[in-house]
Amino acid sequence: MIYAEHLRKEFKKVIKEPGLKGSIKALFKPHKEIVVAAEDISFHVPKGEILGFIGPNGAGKSTVIKMLTGILTPTSGECRINGKIPQNDRKNYVKEIGVVFGQRTQLWWDLPLVETYSVLKEIYEVSDEKFKERMAFLNEVLELEPFIKSPVRTLSLGQRMRADIAASMLHSPKVLFLDEPTIGLDVVVKDNIRQAIMKINKEEQTTVILTTHDISDIELLCDRIVMIDKGKNVYDGSLRELKANYGQMRELNFEANPSSKLTPEKFKSKLKLTDDDLSVECDKNIYKVRFNSAVMPVGEMLSYTLSQANIKDISIKDADVEEIIRRLYKQGVNTGA
Amino acid sequence: MKRAWKIYKILTIQNLKRLMEYKIDFLTGAISFLIDQAVGIGFIFIIFSQIPNLAGFTFEQIVFIYGFSLIPKGIDHLLTDNLWSVGYFIVRKGDFDKYLTRPINPLFHVIAENFQLDAIGELLVGIVLVCSVAGTVGMVVTPLSILLFIIVIPFSSLIYTSIKMGTAAIAFWTKQSGQITQVFYMANEFAKYPTTIYNQFIRTIITYVVPFAFTGYYPAMYLLTGENPLFNIGGTVIISIILFIIAYTIWCKGLNAYESAGS
Repeated sequence: MIYAEHLRKEFKKVIKEPGLKGSIKALFKPHKEIVVAAEDISFHVPKGEILGFIGPNGAGKSTVIKMLTGILTPTSGECRINGKIPQNDRKNYVKEIGVVFGQRTQLWWDLPLVETYSVLKEIYEVSDEKFKERMAFLNEVLELEPFIKSPVRTLSLGQRMRADIAASMLHSPKVLFLDEPTIGLDVVVKDNIRQAIMKINKEEQTTVILTTHDISDIELLCDRIVMIDKGKNVYDGSLRELKANYGQMRELNFEANPSSKLTPEKFKSKLKLTDDDLSVECDKNIYKVRFNSAVMPVGEMLSYTLSQANIKDISIKDADVEEIIRRLYKQGVNTGA
Repeated sequence: MKRAWKIYKILTIQNLKRLMEYKIDFLTGAISFLIDQAVGIGFIFIIFSQIPNLAGFTFEQIVFIYGFSLIPKGIDHLLTDNLWSVGYFIVRKGDFDKYLTRPINPLFHVIAENFQLDAIGELLVGIVLVCSVAGTVGMVVTPLSILLFIIVIPFSSLIYTSIKMGTAAIAFWTKQSGQITQVFYMANEFAKYPTTIYNQFIRTIITYVVPFAFTGYYPAMYLLTGENPLFNIGGTVIISIILFIIAYTIWCKGLNAYESAGS
């Protein structure tokens, strides 16, 4: 369904020195630098799959999505979706896709929401009959009814996101691109949107590419994940595998009483763990310990810590996606992969 | 074509609904354009209260040229005003993404999205001025001149549109080009008066470089004198088409260079 082969995107950037003087200098003698947003990204997605496309901020996720949706022209490499190259036949291609950028809206800001749908109906040439059927379906899945007559500018973020997803689904696209569809939403709304995505995927076999920073999105929705960092692929596989391999890191935070005379070296020395499995940071008796719970179970680590010092405050955290990515990327470089 | 018209219609209807949402803003805009035109005409009045004629033109003739120049300007303003936003912020903020993910021509989409009703003031003033002096300036009224008058108007408007489009498209590379459009656009002030009152340099510029003279003076001259239809009318048609092709080429190249904005 979706093939991305060695996608690369470079941007030219004018480097300015700070201040007005720098700006004027840049105007006459621009110092240009090439910024590589995506270096070499390849993956493919079969029909009907939900793919989690993840990576830290600035990894190049949005750039790749924009190339796949035909907004940006790749510097080199190629993508084919449903047999079409987005940049070659943009108009016909975009009929088959739906796009949601969580941070932007494609709704008509000043008008009641329902007007947006009637405009999109014409733009995408949806027949009256099909339109009714789609609206009924989207209404059921995304619960638009309570605010469909309100002007878009008055919608809450959660309502707006639901409305935006509905707007991108009106023409029954084969592929749905969702760039951070749950950003800034509360837990209930997030859950609502996840349910909707799942339902759309199940009932219509819509292929979905989803970018997110929320690990629950991935856990609940994605069959597979592709992870990128600094414009390169770093992982391609199921989440379960990823977590088994890299997701065992936990973060232990505590404050030691100064009287116990604990030092990071002392804390580390008795544990006999490799640097990959354990790192200890300390700032004025506040410790941040990252450890691999596969090697050292959480309970053991806790009782060890309590035995080492007089502890004031203690908390333990799951590794978040960023942490897994950080580890994964480090490992990738170390093994030369 | 039928589909384009349908989309245009629905987008325009949405726009009118939007205007109804913000009535005060709309009224202020329309009134300000009316005042703007009134000041322009007042200025001509003042000049002619001091001198009997200007470079051989009578007061009525100047009013005719001035009024005529407002018609294509008003039409362009009415229909394609959204191109200003392209140069000022749509590209810079990355909002152009939206147009590229819809199955219609992005240029058409951008243009159709805004119907600038403020321009009605300009358009009306232009028509009223032309009609009010048409009888006294000795306008050559034949079926042919009426026909050419109707034909030349859209081409004159196209000159405005093309200059706006071409300069707005620069934003695809530079992110913002509204000021560039503004600079070019300012040249249209020259087009409201006979080019013969300017020196050769300015005349050449507004005839061949930023050809605003073809949006007012030249076609109006034909209507006043019936002379030189080949240059006055034919020139307008050819120049506007050439300009449109150049502008559209820049636009299309710009679409490929579009870099969006981080999100």
